Amino acid sequence: MKKNSPSMESIGAESRTKRFFQKDFSQYLVLAVPMVFLAIFLLYPMFTTLVRAFMAPADDLAFHGFSLEGFKQFVVSRLYRKSLYNSFVVSISVTLLTLLIGIPMGYFVARVKMPCKNLILSLGILPVIMPSFVGAFTWVILMGRNGIVRVFLNWLLSPFGVTVPSIYGMFGMILCMTLTYYPFVFQLAYGAFASANPLLEEAAMLMGAKKWRIMRTVTFPLVLPSLGAAALLVFVRAIGNFGIPAMIGGDSYVLPTLIYFEVNGFWNINGASSIAVVNVLITALVLWLQKYMVSKHEYETISASRSEMKLHEGKAIRIMALVFCLLVLIASLLPQLTIIIMSFFTKWVGLFPEGFTLQNYIRIPTYSHRELFNSFYLSILATFLCAILGSLVAYITERKKPKGAALLDLSVMAPFILPGTVVSIALLSAFSGNSAIRLTGTYTIIVISYMIRRTPYVYRSVAASLTQLNPSLEEASTIMGASWFYTFRKVSVPLILPAIISGSILTLTTLLQELSTTILLYSGKTRTVPIQIYGAVADGKLGEASALSVVLLVVVFIIVYGMNRSQGNKMASAFKMG
Amino acid sequence: MSQNLTYEAVDKIYDEKGKNPVHALKDVSFTINAGELFCLLGPSGCGKTTLLRSTAGLETISSGRMMYGDVDISTIPPYKRNIGMVFQSFALYPHMTIFENVAYGLRVRKTPDAEVKRKVTEVMELVGLQEELKRNPSPTGLSGGQQQRVAIARALVYDPDILLLDEPLANLDAKLRRYMRAEIRRIQKATNITTIFVTHDQEEAMAVGDRLAVLKKGVVEQIGTSDELYTQPRNAFVSNFIGKMNFLESTIAGLDGDMVHCKINGTELVVPVEKCRCHMDRLAAGHEVLVGARPEMLVVSKEPVARSVRGTVKIIQHLGQFVRYEVDLDRTISETIFEIDMPGMVRGVHEHDDVYISVKPDVAALFSKEGRE
Repeated sequence: MKKNSPSMESIGAESRTKRFFQKDFSQYLVLAVPMVFLAIFLLYPMFTTLVRAFMAPADDLAFHGFSLEGFKQFVVSRLYRKSLYNSFVVSISVTLLTLLIGIPMGYFVARVKMPCKNLILSLGILPVIMPSFVGAFTWVILMGRNGIVRVFLNWLLSPFGVTVPSIYGMFGMILCMTLTYYPFVFQLAYGAFASANPLLEEAAMLMGAKKWRIMRTVTFPLVLPSLGAAALLVFVRAIGNFGIPAMIGGDSYVLPTLIYFEVNGFWNINGASSIAVVNVLITALVLWLQKYMVSKHEYETISASRSEMKLHEGKAIRIMALVFCLLVLIASLLPQLTIIIMSFFTKWVGLFPEGFTLQNYIRIPTYSHRELFNSFYLSILATFLCAILGSLVAYITERKKPKGAALLDLSVMAPFILPGTVVSIALLSAFSGNSAIRLTGTYTIIVISYMIRRTPYVYRSVAASLTQLNPSLEEASTIMGASWFYTFRKVSVPLILPAIISGSILTLTTLLQELSTTILLYSGKTRTVPIQIYGAVADGKLGEASALSVVLLVVVFIIVYGMNRSQGNKMASAFKMG
Repeated sequence: MSQNLTYEAVDKIYDEKGKNPVHALKDVSFTINAGELFCLLGPSGCGKTTLLRSTAGLETISSGRMMYGDVDISTIPPYKRNIGMVFQSFALYPHMTIFENVAYGLRVRKTPDAEVKRKVTEVMELVGLQEELKRNPSPTGLSGGQQQRVAIARALVYDPDILLLDEPLANLDAKLRRYMRAEIRRIQKATNITTIFVTHDQEEAMAVGDRLAVLKKGVVEQIGTSDELYTQPRNAFVSNFIGKMNFLESTIAGLDGDMVHCKINGTELVVPVEKCRCHMDRLAAGHEVLVGARPEMLVVSKEPVARSVRGTVKIIQHLGQFVRYEVDLDRTISETIFEIDMPGMVRGVHEHDDVYISVKPDVAALFSKEGRE
């Protein structure tokens, strides 16, 4: 036996090396790139943020000792306490209010006989497509101290002794965010109510249940997971929103504006890191709560056969439904209308806008050509890179299924729930000061921040498409003699291309309006259009801000419209995710 | 020319170093002859698909060798094996026309355009799709049967050494399935490519294959022609998987020349020694064995007859050519309900009646009790 063993071993080793050289290594080379990128620009910054959060205020990234200085502020500083409190109040009220508006609206459109359902659905997605800070400053025109809507409402309500508060502050933030984010609840609730199997409700009716009982025991429990997902989506956005509180928050700070305050005012990256950590902890807690509550209420649909949904036809409910939907649509689309009017005038105080002019538009090429170039350059470049990164990572997690696939999925998706300001802080904490790679003020850092924030869009889209794709399509190619790269080029990529495109379009449209990340990273040469709009509003040049916003809106609208034409109705569902 | 394909002690263990290793193939050794249409048959989870995918190279085997002629193919990557495969889902490319689908393997091999055109036309004629090729639509516009033909054409066009068919008929409806299995046999005989056909449907396997291998839990139970497997099953599992076999629990009473005497709950049955499918030392008196009889080997009678056991009729189904009686026997004789096929209705026997079951002379077989399920 012993004599034989060396030769046996050498045979084994020989076949092992043979096996090694026969392997197709192109895939490892291609797939390593996104992993390295994620490690350097996502995981490392997240790590440094966490380290800096526990350091005393200092410029350098060098661990001088453990300190809870940053977190102590939440106890000792009135501003911090107030910001935390405001963040809670705003995001919880916004979540509740969007549910209050979105659920009935979704139910009405799905279950009540009414005209123009498709139009209502399309208009109901618009507020999300529009940049939220644009909505915010138009509300200033409408409901500022002498805004037309406020004056009107005060006149209407004066007999009751009620006055509408001015838009600046908590009331304004809650109103603005509610009208911006209700589409998430509306669209998801609509989807759930419309796709529920009517046989289940009919069965309950045959068993003798009354309408309200059916609603309580059958309809509602089945749509609960969708509503839970919608509520989470709204909460995460509301607590991370920077544009609205920055525009109309006044002296009511919330966590994202507090981060901006710390960085912009004092360049206190360590302090900002502490705030970012608190911000993320709250989000994570809510995410966990939602998962925990929804997991108890997830059901598999058992029956396969379906029948046509019976719609409510009563006159009273039809009128009520239509009026409700119209009111919500008007309120939420008022900013779009206002902004177009405003862009042709110099000022709008009181009832009517004054001083018709085209100057707002004519001045754009002279004053904002660099910002326009930057916006398109940065967004298109980042979108292109996002498409590659997101697709490759999705391919890795879905097809290669490495040991840490779940971890990879988690880290790619993490920025999806991270507020934009937090992503900026993470990048600043890793690549500023005495860091080996200094990126502050460069185009690179903005492109990277865009990639980190928006890769989840492409990733989700492509991963979903890959799970739908039977692996045997790729296996067939391998068996017919194609190498990994040939299969990847000729089979995998063409088949997931629609998903890559729709994810990229979503990325591009949101990046063109990006404010919360850019605001902490831009320098004189890397200003973008949203930054310019923000500055113009701060300077009180509402006409100029409106004209720029209209340009932005038109571009975004053309992209989305073109997309809709070529891809059918998929865009609406894409935005629900984004 | 085609070569034999030989499996030598092939083992496959999934998750070998993990917590729950699954032994999918155990010491599989047999040879498929050149030009043969060979069926792998077994219940789901028996390892037949694993064996097929290992042959293709989509799975790596844990130990053993796969020889094509005298070349060991077990370490050759799948794209260099020159194998054709038809998937259960057909795996046709929706983003290509049917021409490009079929031409794919030739394009990979950088075949000149004229040659590609000639070979695709040729193979599409073989599978009977020459008309569809003229319109050249996307495969999504074809019927299930046509998609199946495209998938076969695509696997054949580059003259593979071996053709693998993974449950190719599972996605077709019953009528088309019966038609396509004859077509597959016709095409295989026309090309004479060594072919492995995986299925869980014994009727399909018996109809298509030159030879069959029955697998159970990663082990090859028996290999042979349809007739060999049906008439001379090696054990209780194979006998009940290839067709139906009813089993009576019995004890050996003794050997008398060429006849084995078995006791079944008081009655006695005689089985010829050549019908014994178990080891001879099992035939000593006192050993427990199973007497197996196919539905057509049994007789239902209203009155007691010699060497019969009593049971209760549960269901009577008139199936046209024969009448099937489902009879519940005493639990000590059989745990499962008996299926008995009579040429016609038995006079005076209704559902829930007590009846007497006897075995036609010299047809029953003896099986060992091990590995029945």
